[in-house]
Amino acid sequence: MKLCIFEDERYDLLYPLTLTRATFELRCGTMTLFERIMRAFRSTDAAFFLRDYLAPVFKERFGDLAVNDMSLLRSDEVVFANGRWLPRAGQPLDGDEVVATSKGDVVYLRAKRDTVRKALSESVEKTIDNLRSELSSEEVDARMIEYPWDLVKYNHEALEEDFDLYRSKRKDMVTLDERVAVVGEKDMVYISDTARLHPFVVLDVSAGPIIIDDRARVYPFSRLEGPCYIGRDTWVVRGNIREDTSIGPVCRVGGEVEASIIGGYSNKYHTGFLGHAYVGEWVNIGALTTNSDLKNDYSTVDVYVKGKLVDTGDIKVGGFIGDHTKFGIGCLLNTGAVVGVACVILGGEVLPKYIPSFCWYAGGRYRRGAGLRRTVEAERRVMSRRGIAMSDSYVKMLERIYQDSREERETLIKKAERKSATEERPS
Amino acid sequence: MSIEERVKRIIAEHFGVSADSLREETSFVGDLMAESIDTVELVATFEEEFGLEIPDEEAERNQTVGQVIDYIKAKLAKRDIP
Repeated sequence: MKLCIFEDERYDLLYPLTLTRATFELRCGTMTLFERIMRAFRSTDAAFFLRDYLAPVFKERFGDLAVNDMSLLRSDEVVFANGRWLPRAGQPLDGDEVVATSKGDVVYLRAKRDTVRKALSESVEKTIDNLRSELSSEEVDARMIEYPWDLVKYNHEALEEDFDLYRSKRKDMVTLDERVAVVGEKDMVYISDTARLHPFVVLDVSAGPIIIDDRARVYPFSRLEGPCYIGRDTWVVRGNIREDTSIGPVCRVGGEVEASIIGGYSNKYHTGFLGHAYVGEWVNIGALTTNSDLKNDYSTVDVYVKGKLVDTGDIKVGGFIGDHTKFGIGCLLNTGAVVGVACVILGGEVLPKYIPSFCWYAGGRYRRGAGLRRTVEAERRVMSRRGIAMSDSYVKMLERIYQDSREERETLIKKAERKSATEERPS
Repeated sequence: MSIEERVKRIIAEHFGVSADSLREETSFVGDLMAESIDTVELVATFEEEFGLEIPDEEAERNQTVGQVIDYIKAKLAKRDIP
């Protein structure tokens, strides 16, 4: 059986997170969506289909995987799995040819070799369309990631499911310093042999398990509340890490974090609250920067998606932050704020709900900032501090995002300039 | 539009002043109250407008409108020499 994990056309509902990665690279629980799909099908190998401009970077991130190669679909039975799908652990997926759907979207599609060969087209989307017209459909109960806040919503379940994996690979409980307190059952904690917990750390597993992965460090006076995941090489520095949180790999996190997913190489060293948020990679969150995740009237939170406000149907929704964005000290993110890729935000007031990629926001207005070249150079320095060289493919990806976001950015900047000129004009 | 007019247009738009009010000796810090963020943005805008790469140490030497105009003219002339 060949597993084929594909992006469907709804990747843009997950912007800004999917500007720099495929839908199936998003994280939930302790892993990416594609790792979870591969685990569900007990597969160690897959063919991946994603937007062309992301393909080289995807290969660099995860090794030389099979990407956008239709020829791989000719020689075996194929299961096409939607990259926005979050399969449940132990979900039975064996069976005959079928199109499993959820609210009209393909969740997965199983087809025999000859059926696939007959349906093969120049793209995976068309091939799936052809197969949909040939095979019978079956509506299934599936967790699909439609919007960014779905990742946060499902993080609790995903963490609990993932804990079983870690528990099964544990031989013995790591001996903890007697000054580390566990509230609840000790077997609800997984600590890697190479992780290090300092004295005066509290691990509260009353409401769910805690996973502390390889080479992670938890410094004194930190409190971790399960379910949560501290990824490899991540440091928690005097942190209050609340339930349903996933951090890492290679993050530095302090202050209060609740029900949030923080992508790799991002820092939030200092005091400040982050709740019900998804933060991309290489983000820096300055001291005292805080996001609201609850409106004062307790009504449901709206979030900008493709230029329009979408009602999340949820009253607890925080911010969604693109890769490489930097927040200065004391920034205040509005409830359900969306901040694009490589933005620079200076604080002092509640920020607008939407800031496009490569835009700066300072002094109460949208600004052009440092432009592409200088931003790339700055981010190159940021990445090199963690021993990662920014590749040419990565630069091309950023250039593409810069160009694609130009019109939207300029519209908001010009609007802000007009407003500013009107306000400053003497009456 | 001449280089001088283009430079003045960018500066005028950035600071919300009329291009006619800008003189060669107009100082970014003294007259236009420029802060570091203004410098960063102006340099990036000049780079994009004229297709130039402006190193920080060269940018810092340009303190007036006239100095920027002369700098960009010289930079473009150097680039255009075959």
